Amino acid sequence: MDARAAAGDDARMDVGIFITCLTDTFFPRVGEATVRLLRHFGCRVHFPPAQTCCGQPAYNSGFHAHAAALLRRMPRALEGCEFVVTPSASCAAMVKEHGPRLNGVDAGDIGRLAAKTWEICTFLRDRLQLDIAASLRAREPVTFHYPCHARGIYEVADLQAWLGRLDLRLPTRADLCCGFGGLFAVDFPELSGRMLDDKLDSLAASGARLVICNEAACTLQMAGGAHRRGLPLRFRHLAELLAESLGLMEAET
Amino acid sequence: MNAEPCERSRHRKTESGPNDLAAFLHRLRAEMVPAERGTALPEVSNAALREVTWEEGLVDRFVTSARAAGAQVRCLAANDWLSAVQEVLRGHGARLVVAAGQAGTALDDDRAAALGNALRATGLSVSTAPNDDVLFACDAAVTGVAAAIAETGTLVCTSGPRSPRGVSLIPPVHIALVDARQIVGDLFDYFARLDPTTLPANINLITGPSKTADIEGILVTGVHGPGIVHALVLHSG
Amino acid sequence: MSRRADLRQRVAEATRNERVLQAVHQATWRKADAREQSFAALRHADALREKAAQIRRHTLENLPEYLEQFVEKATALGAKVHFAPDGPAACRIITQLAADRGLRLAVKGKSMTSEEIGLNAALEAIGVRVVETDLGEFIVQIDRDRPSHIITPIIHKDRREVADAMARELGCPRTEDPAELTRIARGYLRDIFRRCDLGITGVNFAVAETGTLCLCTNEGNGRMTITRPRVHVALLGIEKIIPRLANLPVFLKLLARSSTGQPMGVYTTLINGPRRPDDPDGPQELHIVLLDNGRSAILKGPLREVLTCVRCGACLNACPAYRNVGGHAYGSVYPGPIGSVVTPLLYGPACDDLARLSSLCGACRVACPVQIDIPALLVALRARAADRQPVGKRLLLSVWRRVMEHPWLYRLGQAVLRHALRDADGGWVRTGRGPLRNWTLVRDLPRPARESFRQLWEARLRDER
Repeated sequence: MDARAAAGDDARMDVGIFITCLTDTFFPRVGEATVRLLRHFGCRVHFPPAQTCCGQPAYNSGFHAHAAALLRRMPRALEGCEFVVTPSASCAAMVKEHGPRLNGVDAGDIGRLAAKTWEICTFLRDRLQLDIAASLRAREPVTFHYPCHARGIYEVADLQAWLGRLDLRLPTRADLCCGFGGLFAVDFPELSGRMLDDKLDSLAASGARLVICNEAACTLQMAGGAHRRGLPLRFRHLAELLAESLGLMEAET
Repeated sequence: MNAEPCERSRHRKTESGPNDLAAFLHRLRAEMVPAERGTALPEVSNAALREVTWEEGLVDRFVTSARAAGAQVRCLAANDWLSAVQEVLRGHGARLVVAAGQAGTALDDDRAAALGNALRATGLSVSTAPNDDVLFACDAAVTGVAAAIAETGTLVCTSGPRSPRGVSLIPPVHIALVDARQIVGDLFDYFARLDPTTLPANINLITGPSKTADIEGILVTGVHGPGIVHALVLHSG
Repeated sequence: MSRRADLRQRVAEATRNERVLQAVHQATWRKADAREQSFAALRHADALREKAAQIRRHTLENLPEYLEQFVEKATALGAKVHFAPDGPAACRIITQLAADRGLRLAVKGKSMTSEEIGLNAALEAIGVRVVETDLGEFIVQIDRDRPSHIITPIIHKDRREVADAMARELGCPRTEDPAELTRIARGYLRDIFRRCDLGITGVNFAVAETGTLCLCTNEGNGRMTITRPRVHVALLGIEKIIPRLANLPVFLKLLARSSTGQPMGVYTTLINGPRRPDDPDGPQELHIVLLDNGRSAILKGPLREVLTCVRCGACLNACPAYRNVGGHAYGSVYPGPIGSVVTPLLYGPACDDLARLSSLCGACRVACPVQIDIPALLVALRARAADRQPVGKRLLLSVWRRVMEHPWLYRLGQAVLRHALRDADGGWVRTGRGPLRNWTLVRDLPRPARESFRQLWEARLRDER
């Protein structure tokens, strides 16, 4: 079902990309995929330049004044878009769940931002009516990592469904934490490293080398660990795989 | 042994006594925020949460659950109770048996007496009012039950003037006579039947033999309680 | 050395103990899987959890009334109820009544609360011998070790260690067979059970409506402890109350499944006062000690949800951090996720760091039978402790915030990072400096992209059709 045709030119949705600091810095290709996908399905895509960070690292570590300061500037930074779409479920959750309850944040402003903020896969599925499973192609077996902080945005079953028509090799424990945990990764590096080992063992045991991971932080952690251990695992955001499947981007080797 | 890194918090030292509890509760009431007392107690009716439905065969469910918990279960006609008990005891080579009759159970006083006579006739020693030495030395105990629960395969033994708590606990083998009509479906059913005003001093819900997996997760039965539990389910004819 | 460095050090050391961690991995995976399978078999798992959570929350909100009712009913059944505002008071009450009655040999069912207050040491100081009877706690005791899990205390020990301890302390022939070891312990403890005069247990649930104490065990030591001695002391935190007898099955359906995956524990014992005049056995006296020790302070605060805990241990079995560090590193009677919340609340700011020993993954919240939102509680604890974090970290966060508040600074920061890591070997940083040093201790870091997304947008994407 082509959402473009259904939308029509006047009805094109105004979507602002909320790229997130980690994706901006380390994985711009995820942003590129997101933009191409949204345009392909008929959205008018903007990138509001005043955006920086949702404050999640500060929030999780208990520095709530700092988190509130960063959240406070977000509604204005992202104004003028009908929808705000982000490739990171955890950042979407920060805005939608934790933001409204923080002291020092205008509940109304954040509430309005929260209502229009979407994670990319659920936006494609629920707003653009895309059958993700039917649209995905992969030339090799895939496995996936379910990011802990995606809970409430999408669940393990959703990821499994989206990847269901590929040669999907289920990991032994899809929702096992990768061990990143924000500052935890550097506060208790040895422990974070061991948790990472468990995760990589689980992924490697699946038999697939391509890991679908939709969180930049988890990818940094797991790709860094895989490289250190010499494991042949590659990590991609589902948006990248989808953009490649639809011929909107060249596949990377 | 390492020192405890977390220090104990220091509270005001007070003398303790019943009046202190009253004072404590008084203070607590005053300091708790009234506005935050909004959660209602959910209604007690648990019909929507039952595991065991009314349509299920309760005896079959009990048998399955009790076996899953490690008990040995047999169903038999009520008239065969005595020979069944003797067979089980023979299988364990029992020489000294405790038989505790309890009114209102499948091992009432009449049956307990009959059991005692029958066993003595075959050379076993039987005690119906065991002292410590007997309890700790006996090979098996035979009891009735106050109820049985199909959901979990549970036997309910209650304390009473002629049923010491230790009878279903200290001997290595426990043989329980269960009248099939005593089996209720769900844990909710059992608790719904309890009269809060007439509870015995001790109610034991017993689900299978005593067990532990403390050492390397290896399951071992017969730690402190009986290592072998037999449930003989009697259908009255 | 500061306490902070203490915890980091303890954790680092613990992560190097391969043998213990392998044991912890095996045990926790097995129990987490058993819990999951067990809950999948329940028809109404979520509804039961919801109901259990609601019952507990309601009770805590009305705790003074329910405590009052419990005391009245328990007293009417013949129990003597004591109140202990803190640990030392509880120890005083119990040692006093032991001394008054000339009690010499105490047996203990498993009780984390008794460990919290150091009861064993207090009794031993007045000449009462205390014998742990839960198999795991017994082995901990004779080996002079500490428990590392609130349900299975020797999850960190293998059979060789148990064999060594038992042979050494009991003088029995050395065996590594778990069944044989258990049989030896059983024989030894049966003799103790015959001779003991004081029994001390914890309580899983105390019913306000009837004054009933509910004790859930698998081994039978709990039942022995409340049957054999002439005095039974039941020690419980004030939060263990539930309103009505008919509420019990909601919890019984969840407790064993959460702890071990069994549909029901082996022994669920309802205690209604001491022995009746006509009863042939049972304790002559039942003393119930209600312990505060910081719980009322938690109750009055915003984190009271933590008091709904039913001590099932499911969160420990689910936690990837606990699995990779073991229980001892927490340095507390209560380890694991629930311990990370309860310990700072009970023991004070010195233990704040425990709240950071978590990646906030939420596996504990999924496993919790009463739906405690442990990650949210941890974040709240971290917020309380933020001002006490090291000055270097606070400075770093302040600088980071300023940078993030100004897009031009943010872009500058990106450029600085890109530049600093440009010599990364094949695109990877292997040994980082400064804040990156801890990262590269255990993993590499990919170099930042040559072109950030916003640069890419400016350069090409924005104007693309």
